[in-house]
Formats: sequence, structure tokens, C-alpha cells
Amino acid sequence: MKLRHSILATLAAALVLSTMPWLLSDFALAMTLTCLMYAGLAVSWAMFCGATNYLSLATAAFFGLGAYVTTWTSGGPLPYGVAVLLGGLLAAAFAGLIGAAVLHLRGAYFAVITFGLGELVRHAVTYYEKAFQGTVGRVIEEPPEAVTIYHTVLLVSAIAVITALVVRASRLGLALRGIGADEERAQTLGVNARHAKILGFALSAFFAGALGAAMAMRWTYIDPPTVFNPFIGFQTVLIAMVGGAHTLIGPLVSSVVFSLLTEFLRLQFPYLFLILLGLLLILLVLYLPGGLASLIGRWRWRKSNA
Amino acid sequence: MAYWFELAAGGLITGGIYAVVALGLNLQYGLMRIMNISHGEFLMLGAYLTWLGYTVLQVNPLVFLPVVALALFALGVVVYWLCFQRITRTAPAVEVIEARSLLVGFGLMFLVQNVANLIWGADYRGYSFLTEALDIGGARFMTNRLVVFAFAVGASLLLLAVLRWTLIGKAVRAMMQSPTGAQLVGIDTRFLHPVVFGVGIALAGVAGALLSMVYEISPGMGEPYTVTALIVIVLGGLGSAARCLLGGFLLGLVETFGMHFTSPSLKMLLSYAVLIAVLLARPKGLFAR
Repeated sequence: MKLRHSILATLAAALVLSTMPWLLSDFALAMTLTCLMYAGLAVSWAMFCGATNYLSLATAAFFGLGAYVTTWTSGGPLPYGVAVLLGGLLAAAFAGLIGAAVLHLRGAYFAVITFGLGELVRHAVTYYEKAFQGTVGRVIEEPPEAVTIYHTVLLVSAIAVITALVVRASRLGLALRGIGADEERAQTLGVNARHAKILGFALSAFFAGALGAAMAMRWTYIDPPTVFNPFIGFQTVLIAMVGGAHTLIGPLVSSVVFSLLTEFLRLQFPYLFLILLGLLLILLVLYLPGGLASLIGRWRWRKSNA
Repeated sequence: MAYWFELAAGGLITGGIYAVVALGLNLQYGLMRIMNISHGEFLMLGAYLTWLGYTVLQVNPLVFLPVVALALFALGVVVYWLCFQRITRTAPAVEVIEARSLLVGFGLMFLVQNVANLIWGADYRGYSFLTEALDIGGARFMTNRLVVFAFAVGASLLLLAVLRWTLIGKAVRAMMQSPTGAQLVGIDTRFLHPVVFGVGIALAGVAGALLSMVYEISPGMGEPYTVTALIVIVLGGLGSAARCLLGGFLLGLVETFGMHFTSPSLKMLLSYAVLIAVLLARPKGLFAR
């Protein structure tokens, strides 16, 4: 599929999804919202981490930072759209800053330090709120209507998908994939690896931050354990890798599957659900390491060889 | 004076536990590049086994310690065979092993933690053991803490001795230095990998058994120790057991004194700040030459 066709398909899908508030029940709409959020998070995570093979666990930090922007600007209530944009920009700026400092680390070290940074931000925010603001959480007064939130999250996720499409087709995407295949060789061939990595990392953080700001309004009460919840980060990584982090369609499909599974099973059988999730994850990594997307590849290969 | 002594001793006691947890993880990562994020879950299992032994069978936790170690060693070997063997065999590159083992670790974490939740429930459990206070040089200590410290340091030193002075220890050290080179001189990976993985899990179990004598236990207790172990490994640098022990003590002291001078709610903040500072300034470990 050409880039233009893919973008048109994304826009068409977004258009169809934008009518859902008038078609679905409240419960189904809430579920769709969760799917959309994880789709945006997983696609933007895969945009950088899938291409470069850098395993970032900082998604929860970016998400939480974005969410907190909506409360820090509570002096004069910011328009919702501005808060979302600001949340994204703050997360991107933070990612650029830490990216410049830690993106020379590879492998497990990078994974550990991004996780550590996320926790550092969470504990710092908790401490700041307790010591200087005298609160543990904040209530968002006058949240926007559910339909507005839904459309905003849809918009951010759709832009994330389109950005991922454009980046894949661009020089930046090539550079990121080159870094993932062999960083030294890419550098020898003239790729400015440092710039490409920081830019890619900040870009993917932008969407996590914007989604955090957009979703914060829905929860109306936010505190560090909810918005910096490491589970959001883990879930994002799991969705992207189970779907196939080097593809675009993989994370999209698996975000729908995972969110539905989570919503249906977690409420009824909380422990059993997580046991199943763990088993599923182990089996997938062992026997389908390319993710769900590699199934499509296998199927095509078989058809062309039949 | 006695107060500072108590504080320092408290830091060392915490550090001793950290060291035991981190040593196991360090062995696994250094030797096989397996980033076992579910390490703390096996610590939790060790704690529950000891608790069961004490409350159901009325066995002294210290007597039960070898049983816990053996049981978790066996469990570790089985987990290696079922989960990690295939990854180390089929992955095309070291980085892929790290990423996939991290994911499998998450899977194990969900699995083990929630099986424990199903069986024992999410409540805190505990038993009291050797709770009388002891006077040493004007400072007062709970006996059980001193016992825990002695056993933690003992287990660590035992491991160090095995690594340094036995043939199998030499083989492990050789594999850490150069996996290919070690295989070329005839070191059997198929034997050594499961054994070392099992030893790592057994160490986690021992740490859990020791912790259960002092603190209350719950299915979620392992996770923070996994994170702490990662920090200790970064402090000490990969692949060195002795520096890992040093790193554990150091982190224990930093946490204890840091909390004393600031506030207890800053404990995790302090650990992470240390982790990030060290990773930025000396990514090869604090004591690297």
C-alpha cells in the first residue's frame, strides 16, 4: 500500500470511529476509548522502540507528565486543546532532555534507566505534591464532556498513526531502522545516530504525553499512582511487542485485542486474568517472537509458494 | 554514638539482603543475558514457603532454609528449561535475548504473583521469630535482624568462595568473560546455564526466607526487591560478585542515612537518584577500573 492510501485509510477509519458516541452504549464507548488510548500509545512506542530496538519503559512517565499538566495549569483553566498540546510538548521536551543524556546506553541498561527515570518522576511528583501543595491528588473541576474527550483521544491517536506512517517512509524512519539493524554501520554510512534517536524518542514521547493529558480529564481525580501507573507502560510495551513492534498494523490489532480482554476479564476474574495474560505472553514470546504480525507474513509466504 | 552505630548497622542489614537478591540476578544476567524481571517473585515464593513451614509444620525457619533453597533451585531449573532455554538457543543476537527474556520475565511475574494471590490472598502474613532485643555496645538490636544479617552475608560469601575456588566457579567466571571462548575450551553450556539459573533463583528464595523472619509478607512483596537488585547491579557493575556485594551494602547505607537526613517518603527517590547518577557518570559500575 502506498503512503497516500494508508493515510486515507487511517482518516476513513477515524471518521467512522468519530460517529461512535452516537451509536454505542456508554459502556461500549468507554471500552472503545481504552482501545484508542492503547492504540495511540503502542503505535507511538513502536515508532521509536520497534525501529531502533531500544526498549524504553518510560511511557508511564511521559503519560503521567502529560496528565499532570492539566492540573498545574488550574490557576486559570486552560482550554482543553491547549492542555493536551502542552502535555505533549512537555513530555517531548523531557524526552529530548533525558534522551540526550541516556541514549548512548544500549540494551538492558537503557531499559533499566528509562524505568528508573519514570519512577523517579513519579516519586518526585508525589513528594512535591505532599510537601509543597499539601495534597495527594487533585480533582479536575469542570471536566469537558465525554464526547469531547473521546474525540480528542481519537484525534491524537489518529495523528499518532499518521505520523508513524510518515516517519516510516521518511529519511528519519530509514535512519531509525538502520540504527536498529546495526548502529555502528548506520553511523559509518552517514546517519547522525544521535540526532535521529533524540528526535525519534521525543516524537514518540509527545504522543504519550498528549494522550496522558487527554485521558486525565476523563478520570476527573488524578494522583501519582494512577497516572504514573507502571502498568500503563508495561501494557503498552506488551501490546506493541505482542503485535509485532516493527510493524504498524500489529500494535493496532493487538491493542484492540488486549483492551477488550482486559476490560472483560479483569473485572470478573482479576487474578485468573493476569495468570492467563502471563501465560499468553510467555507462549507468544517463545513460539511467535515476531508478534502477531508475523502470522500475516507467514501466511503470505505460504500463499506465494503454493 | 550508639545511635549512629544502630543506624549504620541498620543500613548494613538491609544491604546484606539487597546483596543476596542482586547476586542471583547478576549471575543470571552476567552469564546468560537473561534479564529476569520476575526475580523478586521467587523471593516471595521463598518467603511463603518459610511461612508455611513455620505455621503449618512448625519448623524453625533457619532449619527450613536449606529446604527452601533446594526447592527453589529445582523450580529455577524447571523454569529455565520451560522458558529461557528456547530464547537463548533461538535468538539471533544478544540484544534480542535481553528483550525477549525481559518480556518472558513480565509474563512470569504476572503468573507467579497472581497464583500466589489466588492461593494465599492479598493480605499481609507474618509470624514472630526471635523478637527479643539484644544489647551490643550500648546499641539495641532485634535478634532476628542480626540472624538475618549473618545468614545473608554467609550466603553471599559462600557464593563468592564457590566462584573463586572451585572448578565450576572457574567455569562460570570464564563464561562471563567470554561465552564463545568458554565453549571452545570445552565448558558445557547445557549443564551450566540451568544450574546457574537455579542457583540465582535459590538465592532469591533464601533472601525471601530471611525477610519473612523480619517483615510481613504479601504476594506483591517481590517487585521492589527486583528494582533494588537492578540498582545494586548497576552500582557494582555487571559480572562481578564481590563488587555486587559491596554495591548492596552501599545502597543499604545510602538509603538508611539518606532517609535519616531527609524523610522516609524519599526512600525510593533516593535509590533511583543513585541509580541514575551512577548510570550517567559511570555506566560500567561505580567500582570499575
